[in-house]
Amino acid sequence: MKRPLKKLLIANRGEIALRVIRSARLLGLKTVAVFSEADKASTHVAAADEARLIGPAPPAESYLNIDAVMRAAIETGADAIHPGYGFLSERPAFARAVEAAGLIFVGPSSSSMEAVGDKVAARRLAMDAKVPVVPGIETADAASVRAFAKKVGYPILVKASAGGGGRGMRLVEQPDALEAALESAAREAQAAFGDGRIFVEKYLAKPRHIEVQILGDSHGKIIALGERECSIQRRHQKLIEESPSVAVDEKLRARLCDAAVRLAGAVGYQSAGTVEFLLQDGEFYLLEVNARLQVEHPVTEIRFGCDLVAEQLRIAAGEHVADPVPPRGATIECRITAEDAEHDFRPAIGRVSYLHLPNAPGVRVDTFLTQGTEIGANYDSLLAKVICYGANREEARRRMLLALDDVVIVGLHHTTAFLREVIASEHFERGELSTHFVDDHFGKWRHDASAEKAALITAALVAAGTIGKGQSMRSSSNGKIERRDQSPWTTLGGFQLWERR
Amino acid sequence: MGTPLKLKRIGGGPERDVELTALSDSSIIARVDGEEISAELETLSDGSAMLAIGERRFHISGTKRANSILVAAGATSAEYQIVEARRGAHHVGLTSPTIDAPMPGTVLKILAKEGARVETNDPLIVLEAMKTETTLSAESPAVIKRVCVQVGQRVDHGATLIELAPAPE
Repeated sequence: MKRPLKKLLIANRGEIALRVIRSARLLGLKTVAVFSEADKASTHVAAADEARLIGPAPPAESYLNIDAVMRAAIETGADAIHPGYGFLSERPAFARAVEAAGLIFVGPSSSSMEAVGDKVAARRLAMDAKVPVVPGIETADAASVRAFAKKVGYPILVKASAGGGGRGMRLVEQPDALEAALESAAREAQAAFGDGRIFVEKYLAKPRHIEVQILGDSHGKIIALGERECSIQRRHQKLIEESPSVAVDEKLRARLCDAAVRLAGAVGYQSAGTVEFLLQDGEFYLLEVNARLQVEHPVTEIRFGCDLVAEQLRIAAGEHVADPVPPRGATIECRITAEDAEHDFRPAIGRVSYLHLPNAPGVRVDTFLTQGTEIGANYDSLLAKVICYGANREEARRRMLLALDDVVIVGLHHTTAFLREVIASEHFERGELSTHFVDDHFGKWRHDASAEKAALITAALVAAGTIGKGQSMRSSSNGKIERRDQSPWTTLGGFQLWERR
Repeated sequence: MGTPLKLKRIGGGPERDVELTALSDSSIIARVDGEEISAELETLSDGSAMLAIGERRFHISGTKRANSILVAAGATSAEYQIVEARRGAHHVGLTSPTIDAPMPGTVLKILAKEGARVETNDPLIVLEAMKTETTLSAESPAVIKRVCVQVGQRVDHGATLIELAPAPE
């Protein structure tokens, strides 16, 4: 059944709102942006055909306000809503509200979203679909746990059933520490949660994060678009993603894609989604299912030469998903965030007073930044994604190094220099990745001395008025270069040339 | 122009001395903490420039504020406090007379007690912003003169949280 879409409301902000608007335009749809009071001047508002204010800056009162978003959709006559990622994208209540209003939710149905959204439910679903989960046993009986540990191998992890925040959790590295750990974990769980039930899992010491992109249509067809490796993380926030993974060969890829399609098939999954796995010692285990478009989707788009948002819109309109073309080359993505990497990645705010972004063959930048953009504390810290293609991983990596050198942002702390050093590191070059990568190699990162010297000299040049003046609203992307009123040299009258080389 | 500057990176790091000692059409000589550095400089029409030091090239730009300079040197961004210009506001022996909010947020915990003496790196106050906790610590030995906020209070960027007095010898 075809249901052509005419007008799409994008229930999001920032780079992903712009990204969705572009694909909607491609397919000839009218677009409606929604925005909070903090985002009146944001680029996604200007990019859409129409825009509606939906509330004050705090997300709970605007971008997370289902009633306000629905009102905007109905008042503007939108017939479909794209949720982007974050905010309302994985809330079954929102998908249900859209469905109930007779509009099309560009994503999975509320029921399949619900089925994969709960971690315990997803784990049971996976076991039914013969998708591997981390081996575990739901008992505190020492003999049973001992037998289990012998089977899966040490170390094992003792966890509180009611647990959270690491309390009631014990890492057991050898058999003689087992009983004491079971007892103390149960005691701590009882004290902390009033529930002493514990369970035991195989401990994955150095897992890699590998995920599979899937696309399902309304006719029951589901395809897998290869894997992405997202092992470079910090506190479960992905920093760098790439495809293909150096740890995945053809055989493993086939098994991963198969498992992902099987799990998605079990809930009749529609639209774009991601099945996340942990990989260690050649074995993979389900982590979770993300029932939405992901931040790192461009990595897959570039290798497969597709537009995942356009695919989502076509699927929402009832069209069939096409078989993928063979992927090519390698792609790496870096997420640039407004954070201070030297100080535990604390959030940074500020106004972008100068902006220059890379523009070269094989380089894509997804961003909402312009010169003058104000970054506040209300929303996610993502500023831009830099995605680089190469004929192979090393070419993509080298391209990324050059591209990151071209990310010049004055006005706030951001993570580009940190990401550049990760990309430049031997461990990354050799593909020696795990989810502990950042802690293992970049736990106490500081700006390198030569970059700091350059920054100090820059400060001196700014103080002297040599640079930093005449900053008109030039954007690097339109290539328009405006003339400065004054040559820098005319402002240097007091400077003595002491030495000529 | 060419005045020796004493700069301190906001967010941490020692004071650094920088001075431009020579500037010609396409090259500069700077002194950073006494070390002489020659570099190639090419200014661009948008107020930025290309700075080449040895093998490395940096696309640089910056903005001057009242007491600080915001810069980018390639991928590296930093804000430097102009120590010289702010000297009058400082008490002897104190890095900064106040602890200010580095971002807007909510006061989660106050560890500092009025009248208490604190040492370098003692945690003083915990802020929450964007679901992340940030602990602000003493940058030098001091005495807590006044705690200006309460737990649960929303604070803006730059709000004074704690006033400090120099620690007695």
